[in-house]
Amino acid sequence: MRVYLRYAIKETISNLWRNRMMTIAAVLTVAVSLSLVGAALLLKQSAAQASAQWQQGTRVTVWMEPTASKAEISTIQGQLANLPIVKSCVYYTQSQDYQEALQLLPRSESSVLSVTDVPSSFRCVPTVPQNAFVVESQFSNQPGVYSVTAPEQQIRQMNRAIRVLQIVFLALAGVLLLSATVLILNTIRMAIFSRRREVSVMKLVGATNWFIRIPYITEGFIQGLLGSVVAIIAVTALKIWYPLHNEFQLNARSLIGTSTVVLVVGVLIGSVGSAIAIRRFLDV
Amino acid sequence: MIRFEQVSKTYKNGTPALVNISLDIEKGEFVFLVGASGSGKTTFLRLLLREESPDSGRILEAGRDIGDLPKWRVPYLRRNIGCVFQDFRLLPNKTVFENVAFALEVIGRPRSTVESQVPQILELVGLTDKSSNLPGELSGGEQQRVAVARAFVNRPLILLADEPTGNLDPANSEIIMSLLERINRTGTTVVMATHDKGLVDRMRRRVVELDRGEMIRDQVRGVYGIDEPAMGH
Ligand SMILES: Nc1ncnc2c1ncn2[C@@H]1O[C@H](COP(=O)(O)OP(=O)(O)OP(=O)(O)O)[C@@H](O)[C@H]1O
Ligand SMILES: [Mg+2]
Repeated sequence: MRVYLRYAIKETISNLWRNRMMTIAAVLTVAVSLSLVGAALLLKQSAAQASAQWQQGTRVTVWMEPTASKAEISTIQGQLANLPIVKSCVYYTQSQDYQEALQLLPRSESSVLSVTDVPSSFRCVPTVPQNAFVVESQFSNQPGVYSVTAPEQQIRQMNRAIRVLQIVFLALAGVLLLSATVLILNTIRMAIFSRRREVSVMKLVGATNWFIRIPYITEGFIQGLLGSVVAIIAVTALKIWYPLHNEFQLNARSLIGTSTVVLVVGVLIGSVGSAIAIRRFLDV
Repeated sequence: MIRFEQVSKTYKNGTPALVNISLDIEKGEFVFLVGASGSGKTTFLRLLLREESPDSGRILEAGRDIGDLPKWRVPYLRRNIGCVFQDFRLLPNKTVFENVAFALEVIGRPRSTVESQVPQILELVGLTDKSSNLPGELSGGEQQRVAVARAFVNRPLILLADEPTGNLDPANSEIIMSLLERINRTGTTVVMATHDKGLVDRMRRRVVELDRGEMIRDQVRGVYGIDEPAMGH
């Protein structure tokens, strides 16, 4: 067993070194395709997390006409307060909303605003996010109400955009993974070819089939492994430097999950590539 | 040790290589396999290694029907058979020592065995002082001695040689021949396919002659061509 381990390790390393150009190409292709897989997975997780975060604090805002009367305002306030699907409501006066608008809008626009142009508003938190729509339908046509806005729609739009991006990433990754498999297959084929004398002598003196095969299998395995390690580093870097990082607040757990998938896929590709090469080109 | 029972072999392209061969070779025998080119000598040896399987008939080695052997047992069969070829088949980037050691390493023999057996066998073939040379630095005769060492280092029960002197001059042929004889004296069964008339005639061992796949002669203490004087010059 010890003899064999030594032999297999020696053989694997020397094969990798001999075909180092091909090995690098294969490893890089694996890395790029797996980075895409990892990015797609992270996107999915971060989208799910972001919408959960946003939805938790989903607010529905009832904007009053700037000209709404005190009576109209207090009617709405009373109705909102009695509504069981609304958890809480805060009233923002015109001057409070004006202050907020000054911060949100560019100076060119805010400079023409005056306090009296700005609607006052009720910022409400519904018990469950879906109830934002109930509030919307109930209040949009009430006297004195200018409009009701719920962020649900934006979340949906964002989710759709992320899903499209994800499909594009995964499709690209699929194509690249296929070429990575072929590249690995090819490096193993070259390794087998450059060793055909050794292999024929080994068969002659009675080396078992697995003894002959294992160095080539580990070679593919290592290529897949190296590729996924590079991809994991890339994905981690992406997580750290990606501008949406703060907003999306990806936790370590989703990163570990993604890395595991990337690792498994990489190792699988390496093994499948070498298994095919061995079946086709190593006649044992 | 070796038994052929009505063995026939036809290659896929339709060439009959062996036709209804029956023969017994005892343990420790030395047998020359002779016959014109294409008569089936190499096929005979390949069947013994189970590189090919017969179309019909049985082959027994050490009492076992090798046709019954599952594919994964074939390597273990080959560990009991040493092989020498006309073209040496050494690994060019391994030294003499490494070439011989390779045969032990790849069947999982421990380092201690390799370190004790290889020098011993190199001594037997007289190449102790060439053990760290590469095959390219040796003469043909020396290379073939390395091949014999590799074939015998695992002490196989059977040694097969396919024209081992085919590429050698008479002096080197003689050295290889006497090596094979010494190996035979240790109880190893030797089957040697050859075109070397002088060698066969001098050795006076058992001769099996093939002709287009048929066994036309099996002679104890035979000569290369029995009817050659009548036909020749
Ligand atoms: N792999 C093969 N495929 C098809 N036909 C083959 C194959 N090997 C040998 N033959 C044919 O089988 C016959 C016997 O060949 P074999 O190699 O056994 O002859 P041989 O006696 O060893 O000849 P030589 O003295 O030239 O080495 C020949 O007609 C040859 O052409
Ligand atoms: Mg031949």
